[in-house]
Amino acid sequence: MLGTLIKKQITELFQGYVFNRKTNKMRSKASAAGMIVFFLVLFVGFLGFSFFMMASGLCGPLVQVGLGWLYFALMSLIALFLGIIGSVFSTYSSLYLAKDNDLLLSMPIPPKTIVASRAFGVLLMSLMFSGVVTVPAVVVYLITMGLTPARLVGGIVFILLVTAIVLALSCLLGYGVARLSLKLKNKSYITTAIALVFFALYYVVYFRLTEGLQSFIQNVEQNAEKISSSVRFLKVFGEVGEGKWPAVLASVALVALLCLLVWAVLIRSFTKIATTSAASGKAVYRETLAKDRTLRQTLGAREMTHFTSSSGYMLNCGLSTIMLILAGVALLWKGGPVITLLNQVFGEASGIVLVMLVGGISLIAFMNDTTVPSVSLEGRSLWIVRSLPVETLDVLKAKLDLQLKLTVIPTLFCCICAGIALKPAPAEWVLLLAVPLLANILFALFGLMLGLRHVNLNWSNEIIVIKQSLSVLVYMLFGLVYGAAVVAVYMLFAWGLGPVWYLLIVAGVTCLLSFLLWSWIRTKGVRRFEEL
Amino acid sequence: MLRIEHLTKKYGSKVAVNDLSLHIAPGEIYGFIGHNGAGKTTTLKSAVGIQNFDAGEIYIDGISIKEDPLEAKRRLAYIPDNPDLYTYMSGIKYLNFIGDVYKVPAAVRKERIHDLAERFKLTADLAQPISAYSHGMKQKLALISAFLHEPKLILMDEPFVGLDPTASHLLKQMMRELCDQGGAIFFSTHVLEVAEKLCDKVAIIKDGRLIRSGTMEEVKGDDSLEEVFLELEDK
Repeated sequence: MLGTLIKKQITELFQGYVFNRKTNKMRSKASAAGMIVFFLVLFVGFLGFSFFMMASGLCGPLVQVGLGWLYFALMSLIALFLGIIGSVFSTYSSLYLAKDNDLLLSMPIPPKTIVASRAFGVLLMSLMFSGVVTVPAVVVYLITMGLTPARLVGGIVFILLVTAIVLALSCLLGYGVARLSLKLKNKSYITTAIALVFFALYYVVYFRLTEGLQSFIQNVEQNAEKISSSVRFLKVFGEVGEGKWPAVLASVALVALLCLLVWAVLIRSFTKIATTSAASGKAVYRETLAKDRTLRQTLGAREMTHFTSSSGYMLNCGLSTIMLILAGVALLWKGGPVITLLNQVFGEASGIVLVMLVGGISLIAFMNDTTVPSVSLEGRSLWIVRSLPVETLDVLKAKLDLQLKLTVIPTLFCCICAGIALKPAPAEWVLLLAVPLLANILFALFGLMLGLRHVNLNWSNEIIVIKQSLSVLVYMLFGLVYGAAVVAVYMLFAWGLGPVWYLLIVAGVTCLLSFLLWSWIRTKGVRRFEEL
Repeated sequence: MLRIEHLTKKYGSKVAVNDLSLHIAPGEIYGFIGHNGAGKTTTLKSAVGIQNFDAGEIYIDGISIKEDPLEAKRRLAYIPDNPDLYTYMSGIKYLNFIGDVYKVPAAVRKERIHDLAERFKLTADLAQPISAYSHGMKQKLALISAFLHEPKLILMDEPFVGLDPTASHLLKQMMRELCDQGGAIFFSTHVLEVAEKLCDKVAIIKDGRLIRSGTMEEVKGDDSLEEVFLELEDK
């Protein structure tokens, strides 16, 4: 039974990879495998490589002084935070909000089997996010120390244990959010707020950890001694990666105990949580005179209502709104000294700081990606807009508007803060404001293009299209490449141009790409939407 | 009011609707019956402009759904077999959304929502999120939204499924009222007794082909509609 449910989960998760919506046919095995490999290369290749480089820098110095356990302990902490943050925004939805809960619970299937199948989805996310840290960590260690059976087994167990801890903690948090949601009226806002608090906490810990790494390596032996005596478990857990058997057995036992406890909590409450709707009282209807709205306002309000109704949608696709404001405040607060330092390193005349600010702000802004899942999120309600007397292009424009509404003002705020900190010349001011705003438009158009090309209307859990699709990954990669390329190309090839001419070229290229995407959306994109 | 001429729709190599022609005049309630997968929903979706078709023409009040879909859609309302509405909206928000799209003035809209919600006994639930609605409540909301802009033509796919007897009776009454005012109804159903009592005309579709159509008397003669249908199905 569990196998059947897991197969259903996998089918849903990988539907886009094995089914071609354009031709309404299954993809060939080679094509499906190609799509999955593409996904893995994008994900593992990009994030995995970053952590591989990080592990390479850490492993040698620590192993040389006999502190392999510390290397694994540090890598596991990073993996835990990345893994939890990667899955936490979707765990609540994955575990409890699937549309087929009632159907499955009405069948002769034990609830614990349903929980296990739901947890399998979380497990995949946990493995994916923690794996990009743990797998490179183990590989780097094996390259540095040489391959032995004990180290290989230890490495594999290390990867699995970190994944299991991420799974358990994510599920526990998902359970906590679910319990709170049952008691709340404005579920989506509160859930979002709770998750954001967790997210902020994560960033505080993560940045402290990153700062701490430097001092760890500088005074490695004293620090290691401190950790081993104060946090015994961290040392034991780190030794798992080294393949030390007592550590492996002890850690497996402890993690198994944690998983069992979480499992007990989940199965005890699953049916109640999954079948209980909000505990809030019935909303009272009062007749009022509605305001007449234009079509654009109407369609825009529809998109915004959808966005604010779902914590998963807000957290996964609207985080930049907050991040940009925080970044702006940070620039006002600490921007001056950082800019002075960068100017000292690169030379004030280079103009690199301006380019870095433009690239950096664009990098933060791209994380708003409501356009990517917006078409798929129409789901089975697509018939409504298709049967109404509205132009398809207007529907698509409303999707673009949502992303721009969420991003443009925070971007502008962040740019103004950056400008106050940097004090640029008038032409530089204009470009500092214009390029990130143009990038906003480009990202929104690119996301919508992806959303139209890879549609999945038959999801049973919206988190699948919001977070777990290939389109989201490709979008993320595009945003990262854009932001990084703006800085890298200037440093490598365009130093001589100066920042103003260079950013003018960037603005031109951004406009050109946007124009091409817009042309595609208003012709082929519209046709695609109408053929869904 | 609705003229379907030589409609043909294929899904890959499968012909879902094959050269189907129908004419529904103002004032008519037209029933559309056929076995599962016969092509009823495909025909309805094509007529509403949700689905492109391979050949033929469809006119709503003389306007081609292919050539001028917006103008055609302004004259009609559609209710699918499963009313998947926006679960992230409340009932009233959804009705206001529909009202905005069809440009129903606020004061008129308020009055109509009041009247329709009272008739369908949904007033008390209008502030609730649609996600909390039962199937029947969603169907009622879909019906209210369909009548809200006073369309000339309503196309419905299995409209009675999920409705309680009172709402079912009310819907039949409202269908008749709309037709008495010069509108038209085209709906599919598997409940042949309802079709027999309610419809002025009926069409039977089998494997994508129209096998019989006309006034109720022409189609069934002295037999019941069920007998005629089963006999045609067996052929």
